[in-house]
Amino acid sequence: MQISTHELKSKIIESLKLQDITPEQIDDDAPLFGTGLGLDSIDALELVVLLEKDYGIVIKDIEEGRPAFRSVQTLADFIAAKRPQ
Amino acid sequence: MAARSPVITGLGIVSAAGFGTAEVWRTVAAGASGLKPLTLFQSPRYGQIPVGEIQRDLIALGVPTRSSRSDKLGWLAAREAIADAKINFQNCGDRAGILLGTSVGGSYDSELFLATLIKRGKMRARPTRFHECSTTVDLIAESFGLFGPGMAIATACSSSALAIAQAAEMILSGETDVMLAGGADSLSRMTWGGFHSLLLVDATGCRPFDVARGGMSLGEGAAILVLESEESARRRGAKILARLSGWGMSCDAYHATAPHPQGAGATMAMQSALRRAGLEPSAIDYVNAHGTGTRDNDVAETIALKTVFHNRVPPFSSTKRIFGHALAASGAMEAVVCVEALRHQELPPNPGFTKCDPAIGLEPVVELRHAPLTHVMSNSFGFGGNNGVLIFSKAETTPQTRVPKKIQVVVGGIGVIGPGAVTIKEIGAPLPPGKGPVHSCGVLKDAAMLTPNQRRRLSRLQQMALITARKSLEFSGAGVSPASCGNFAGELTGKMPVPLRIAVAIGTGLGCLEDAGAFIENLVAKDEREPMPARFPNSVHNSPAGQVAIDQSARGMNSAPTVGEITFECALWQGISQLANDEADCALAGAADETDKYLLSIGQRWGAWDDKIMPGEGAVVASLLPAGKIASPLARVTVVKLGRYRKPFDAAREAEWIAAAVDLSKVEVFMSGAKGFRQLEPMYESVAAALSERAGKKLAHQTYKQLCGEFHAASAFGFSLAVKLAHEKNCGVLLYTLSQRGAKALCLVQP
Repeated sequence: MQISTHELKSKIIESLKLQDITPEQIDDDAPLFGTGLGLDSIDALELVVLLEKDYGIVIKDIEEGRPAFRSVQTLADFIAAKRPQ
Repeated sequence: MAARSPVITGLGIVSAAGFGTAEVWRTVAAGASGLKPLTLFQSPRYGQIPVGEIQRDLIALGVPTRSSRSDKLGWLAAREAIADAKINFQNCGDRAGILLGTSVGGSYDSELFLATLIKRGKMRARPTRFHECSTTVDLIAESFGLFGPGMAIATACSSSALAIAQAAEMILSGETDVMLAGGADSLSRMTWGGFHSLLLVDATGCRPFDVARGGMSLGEGAAILVLESEESARRRGAKILARLSGWGMSCDAYHATAPHPQGAGATMAMQSALRRAGLEPSAIDYVNAHGTGTRDNDVAETIALKTVFHNRVPPFSSTKRIFGHALAASGAMEAVVCVEALRHQELPPNPGFTKCDPAIGLEPVVELRHAPLTHVMSNSFGFGGNNGVLIFSKAETTPQTRVPKKIQVVVGGIGVIGPGAVTIKEIGAPLPPGKGPVHSCGVLKDAAMLTPNQRRRLSRLQQMALITARKSLEFSGAGVSPASCGNFAGELTGKMPVPLRIAVAIGTGLGCLEDAGAFIENLVAKDEREPMPARFPNSVHNSPAGQVAIDQSARGMNSAPTVGEITFECALWQGISQLANDEADCALAGAADETDKYLLSIGQRWGAWDDKIMPGEGAVVASLLPAGKIASPLARVTVVKLGRYRKPFDAAREAEWIAAAVDLSKVEVFMSGAKGFRQLEPMYESVAAALSERAGKKLAHQTYKQLCGEFHAASAFGFSLAVKLAHEKNCGVLLYTLSQRGAKALCLVQP
């Protein structure tokens, strides 16, 4: 089942304590790391915790999550595909 | 200066791979692994993952029981090293000291306090008595009678390499003759949960440099070397096991946890060590690599090796699968491996390696083999991009080690946050987890000058350090800092390189209490589910110094001394040593501490606070430069001396210790840490009186804790007041500081 990217953006903002930014300002396809939101490897680990806590998806190797962490859209697709039913 | 060159005359080691040098070398030579499933504490999520745990009964080995687990490990290693060196410290007076790397400190024991509070709602503060990283130094110094400088350095996984390097600097400069140098760290829930939260642990045990490697294995242990000047060793007829001929310290200034991808800082540290030793890269016969087994470290480190050795990398291996990664102790444990390799003329193997990684393109030593070894190198790299490299040489070699110069040091600028004393009315009862601290000094006025990423990610302690470091550099000409709210305007004179080589020494007595507390609370309360990976890197004591390095592109030595009340003076000593050794053009020396709800409530339980003694927090950073480099410095720092006082406390003896280092005719003000904890009050008063008598004039006795409150970094405020007095009133100020656990320091600030 597809999940709302708006909801996902709110969760990302909250869990990463992003400052001065609203879900509306994050483009679904913009890169999360490097240039885009400027996140780093520690933020990726926080996203791993978020995936487990809110969606029950366990990632044991950060390489496994790397393609999913490209953008909000890829993350939403990853969650939809991996989420336990 | 061969007489002062540091030699090694004793070794001691305790580890999962064995107790004692002989047993450990047998394990290393066999390439066996000490990794086993965890038994020390319950780990619902990761309990089956192999770890380098020491499973012997430590109490049965005769260790002092009033101590943390790290203290016990360190004490056992010290006992062995002292016996090995056959040294009697009674003959050393104040010229024998101790310098250890510790990072976890008493965390394992303090976690019992939090577990009891969270799971059973009971406040049992006793296990926190040995929480501080410096208690191991204090215990060993007291137990074996060391009265020279005592210092702990907490720079995560490079701690003990830095400790050994700086102990060597103390010997080379003539400040001491003998140093116990090494490190100790126990396993703890915090580091166990922390490295798992960073997804950095290999579930099958670490496989350094192997193509299929999946991370590190945690370990614990301690190792201590007896380091002494060659003349001291010869005088007492000691057997010289090996020499410490070079050392290098640097910082990546890149990221809180990840190494620089091209190993830039590692390269600098190795090159610095070679320069110090006066050796060409081709002289190195073996490298004991940091080789943690994480994907990033092993690639970055081998790139650095190829750069340093011009693609002719000598035989190398990582011994991490043998011991597990014992964090702050690992550099010292690997120093023991290097000395034993030199003595046996054998290359230690790299268990866990089976297949070469094309991304690395190098193979480590796979089996023990004989090789002629003259000079060997040991690498240690830690969080905060903190690097320490040591070079050991055969006893028969002639040392070419470069010696430090005597230099005059001035204060260019100074940044101060605080005073932030908490009044007794603001301290509530012991707090259950989840509730914020009641104290009110938590808002940082200047936080607006930080970037959004610095504000969201960094703890208050790190933010305080960043702001004060920026302010300390705001003297005209050194404009490395983007911010501009300082009040000092001077001018650079003479030739200064661009960019400046900046060393950073920012100490902390207790580190980031709020983040460390929150991380462990969460771990215990949720049985290791939903960890806090962003909090864990903040829990290391060198995180403020590491963040300052990133902010200022400071790639020189990066250190975090932690020595109770004399933490700041130790940072001052480290900064000046880097200038004297010409490893930096400018050194940032400072100290920072924060309060948290547990510190407040435990202190209240122990009756530490009352209407006059208030807990405080804050940060001070001073920029130090060689004299003559800036036109109008704030003041000169002419003497810094560290030591330990004898019990019972003898004020006349203290006055004599001070007078031996300081020309009392130049001193008008005696600045002490009185007006804080009651037990130190009469000691300060009696020294003030004894010193006035000795000087033949009444010295004005000034104090600072009534302004800033009582906390470990408070003497940094005393220093800022001393600089102000010297600058504005043109008087010489003697800053004299005692710790509750036996350490002492003096510092002379002159116009």
